[in-house]
Amino acid sequence: MKILTTVKKVVDVELTMRVEDGAIVEDGMQYVINAWDESAVEASVQLKENNGAETTLVSVGGGDNTDMIRRCYAMGIENGIHIEDPALDKADSSIYARVLQMVYEKGDYDLVITGKQAQDTDSGQTGIILAEYLGLPCVSNVVAIEVLDGQHIKVSRSGDAGTEIVEMELPALITVDVSINEPRLPQMRGIMMAKKKKIEVMDLAALGVSADDISAAAPRSEIVEYMASKTRKGGQKFEGEPADITAQVVDLLANEAKVL
Amino acid sequence: MSKVLVVADIKQGDLKSSTSELLSKAKAIGAERAVVAIGGNIESLSSDLANAGSDTQYIANDPGLELFSAGPYTTCVVDAARQFDADMIWFGFSESGKAVAPRVAAQLDAACATEITDVILEGGHIEVVRPAITNKVIQRVKINTDKLVAVVRAGAFEAVEEITGTENVVELSPPESDLKAVIKELVSDASGEIDLADADIVVSVGRGAKDQAGIDLVKDLANDLSAGFGSSRAMVDGGFMAHNKQVGQTGKIVAPTLYIAIGISGAIQHLAGMNGSKVILAVNKDPEAPIFNVADYGIVGDLFEVVPILREEIKKLS
Repeated sequence: MKILTTVKKVVDVELTMRVEDGAIVEDGMQYVINAWDESAVEASVQLKENNGAETTLVSVGGGDNTDMIRRCYAMGIENGIHIEDPALDKADSSIYARVLQMVYEKGDYDLVITGKQAQDTDSGQTGIILAEYLGLPCVSNVVAIEVLDGQHIKVSRSGDAGTEIVEMELPALITVDVSINEPRLPQMRGIMMAKKKKIEVMDLAALGVSADDISAAAPRSEIVEYMASKTRKGGQKFEGEPADITAQVVDLLANEAKVL
Repeated sequence: MSKVLVVADIKQGDLKSSTSELLSKAKAIGAERAVVAIGGNIESLSSDLANAGSDTQYIANDPGLELFSAGPYTTCVVDAARQFDADMIWFGFSESGKAVAPRVAAQLDAACATEITDVILEGGHIEVVRPAITNKVIQRVKINTDKLVAVVRAGAFEAVEEITGTENVVELSPPESDLKAVIKELVSDASGEIDLADADIVVSVGRGAKDQAGIDLVKDLANDLSAGFGSSRAMVDGGFMAHNKQVGQTGKIVAPTLYIAIGISGAIQHLAGMNGSKVILAVNKDPEAPIFNVADYGIVGDLFEVVPILREEIKKLS
């Protein structure tokens, strides 16, 4: 089985975000692998270990992704492709999906695994749109994968009314939730070996896409402004004898907030 | 005049509140309104759909649509969107909506925006507002296409009372099933449980409850209040709670009238899933727990002591 995993470098959400003049202040920003993509990487490596697979990752944009890709190598990914091109500066989900489509079509992949969303945009679209462009069967929000045979997998998806069990014919695309696994920490030996591995860096021309095509394919949506999030303020905090303060709070919920 | 197609949110045969909330918003922006309802046994929903405020109803009612499958559901929405000539297609916040919206957008060559909290029609184009980066910032997004597919964040729009529609029904032909991604089984959540996504009150349990006995204690409080019962990620990772009970950016996003966080410290990931709640009550023994920075009311105390008292005091109200 040949697995293609998509990986995005994103801003570290643990940091404080500052917004000035409609833009996020980038000073002091740190970047990490998107948590959902890290789970996609772990899922790919587990399939390699348990069922035998060749694993390739692809990352689009993000500038210098060397550290992130080496980290994925150290986790067990075998091949890495990085597509970087100034024409991708304003890319939206559909443009990312078009670029990924080109990468997919150059390989002979059986399974594409993406994170279900990226923690910078929280959009959750690229993987699903990619499957549409490729005409592949797609299940999103996957929380478990089982290989049935060379042509079929069975996945569990966390849905609205419970867990949906879906049998998929390969080639297929799944987007995974972080709850699917606990990504491993790279070990020293893997880290050392990862340093020697090559990363295939390509621009759009090398991929066979003309930059004009991408520029012409104007993004379907564009962010015009960032605003600071409305922050909630803490209200009344009670400490003391549990019986007293609890009774007091219930009274406030009923008569002040009027929600009980 | 813009034309808004709302995808009805149906769970276990019932129409959920997001449908009328979305139709109310469509009315507020002066749009022509239609709804598409998809399911296996939904003949009886027509009057509910009219009461929710739709003028035209596209109904796909077929036994093959009983269980959710993204492919056939997409076909139905695209069919309705084309027949109605919709320029906006809105989904309420649901896992099925998140799975189908990008597919519909791809098929209609439309833009797609998820988790939106507002829609603005501005000088001939559409703009949406949505949170990003785990709710730390808000984006204003310009839509460059003339069609938009959107998933609306829970609690973003309010239903208006005096909205009326008509029972003008258009039946859609049943779609082909997806032979390459076959839904085999739905392992249902325990029946009779209140749905987190549209509960008026949500009670969530965190690491402070320690084990099953602690969880049961908090669940009793949820049952007393007929509340949805959720949890923090720690309890899901610990194997105590099911994935789909997790409230947070990586799980369910909820916006109830009252959110009660019991033994939850308040990681940003969790806060992003509940800080749209109208009123928040937190119980935690650590006075410095970050949850108190967002809670309207906070009780500093041991949940094993506080929860039984809370239950008694609440019972006294009725």
